[in-house]
Amino acid sequence: MARYGMVIDMRTCVGCQACMVACTTENQTPFWSDKFRTHVEDKEQGNYPDVHRVMLPRLCMHCENTPCLSACPTGATYKTKDGIVLVNYDRCIGCYACCIACPYDARYPYESDDVNRERELYGSNATHEVPHVDKCTFCQHRISLHTEPACVSTCPTHTRIFGDLDDPASEVHKIATSGKAAALNQGLGTSPKVFYIPS
Amino acid sequence: MTFVHQHVWGWQIATYLFLGGLGGATFAISAILHLFEGCDRKMLSVAVLSSIGFLVLGTVFLLADMLQPLKAAYALTNPNSWIFWGVIFINFYFLAAIVYVIPLLEEWPKLLPIIQKIPAPLLSLLERFNRLAALGGSAAGFLIAIYTGLLISAAPAISFWNTPALPLLFVISGFSTGAAYLLLLSTFSKKETAWKISEKLEQLDAVLIVSELIILGAYFNFALFLPTGARESAQYLFNSPVFIIGFFIAGLLIPLAIETYGIFFSGHSKKSNSLLAFASALVLIGGYLLRFFVLSAGLYQYPW
Repeated sequence: MARYGMVIDMRTCVGCQACMVACTTENQTPFWSDKFRTHVEDKEQGNYPDVHRVMLPRLCMHCENTPCLSACPTGATYKTKDGIVLVNYDRCIGCYACCIACPYDARYPYESDDVNRERELYGSNATHEVPHVDKCTFCQHRISLHTEPACVSTCPTHTRIFGDLDDPASEVHKIATSGKAAALNQGLGTSPKVFYIPS
Repeated sequence: MTFVHQHVWGWQIATYLFLGGLGGATFAISAILHLFEGCDRKMLSVAVLSSIGFLVLGTVFLLADMLQPLKAAYALTNPNSWIFWGVIFINFYFLAAIVYVIPLLEEWPKLLPIIQKIPAPLLSLLERFNRLAALGGSAAGFLIAIYTGLLISAAPAISFWNTPALPLLFVISGFSTGAAYLLLLSTFSKKETAWKISEKLEQLDAVLIVSELIILGAYFNFALFLPTGARESAQYLFNSPVFIIGFFIAGLLIPLAIETYGIFFSGHSKKSNSLLAFASALVLIGGYLLRFFVLSAGLYQYPW
């Protein structure tokens, strides 16, 4: 069984936001409400004259110890055998307990207005039929077709690297175990499966 | 490091938390007082009915805030979630409170025809389980009050909430609002028994407010000395005039002063009746403001 994860190389991210666009197109996320499954944070670091601009792409960390899963009363949030954290739209009641529990701002509400707007835009191809809390799925529908997540395959600078963290031959395994990359907010004990190579 | 205000839980959830604590505590205090002290059954039925009303209204606010309220029954799936336990506590409470209140309604002549329609064996069964319902409902009421704090403390990235002090603060504040509500009810009654009960409630509320002040002191001391979002949250609250004046001064210190005056200086004289009603109303407003401001002071601590 795979244990999917991602490495993000902050040295190469140029902040083009193509990943956000690819994700939006692939997953019909409500860009009209300014809600996205992945964001690129544009941060300034340091003090004048030693100031840097840093791009930090972020998404669901698909944590091993999953606070959102514990907080979800309905079992709508679940984890696949491959460690991907997903939401069963039909079971989600939209109580937001998962949004409160998530330490990475990875979840947002797909509200009725968003469902209606999606139906206007995508017609019978709309994939979000009912209001629910939405999040990154690591493009599970693509993985099952042996294709990378949309954000990874679209990234022009090879900032996002996706693969099986348990496969010693995979690039993500090599980087994640090399010590070059680290997960965010490790002190919380969530054991995220997205690792960052600092800029 | 970025601190971002949470926006998903607003005034509706604050209302739910407030009414949950108030309803649970109102039932627990009135049932316990009934068991130990005995009291006016008519007043008791009003107290229990209003506690049921608070929880029904609170649940309506919770459901109204959901994206899919019609699927709320699914919330009974994952026992690792506090909401799961909240649903269990609230439903158990409703069951106990209804069993407890039906025999009390015989005190109301207008309701008597309806009560008489209940088969006699069932009514006598309800009477027989009266004490058990009082105790079970009180336990459930206490659990609902503490659950309101546990629910929001399950947020690892909101360090101001993610502390054992919060459930403690909410349960004490909930019981203080419950005692204040019952005190307010008792000031409307002209009966001598109600006046005697109000003396007990006045003392209870004063003790609860003092306990709340101690917990608040420890809570803010903890928050202000941590280099985390908890400090930002505490500073946000210190800089909110409505929190300081509305909750801390008007909702805690002034009622405590009035109650202290009533207990030690006026000998619980009937002249202070309207003053006591005023203090109780302030405690109730303060209880709501506490929950509203604790929710709005919830700051995520993001690593970017």
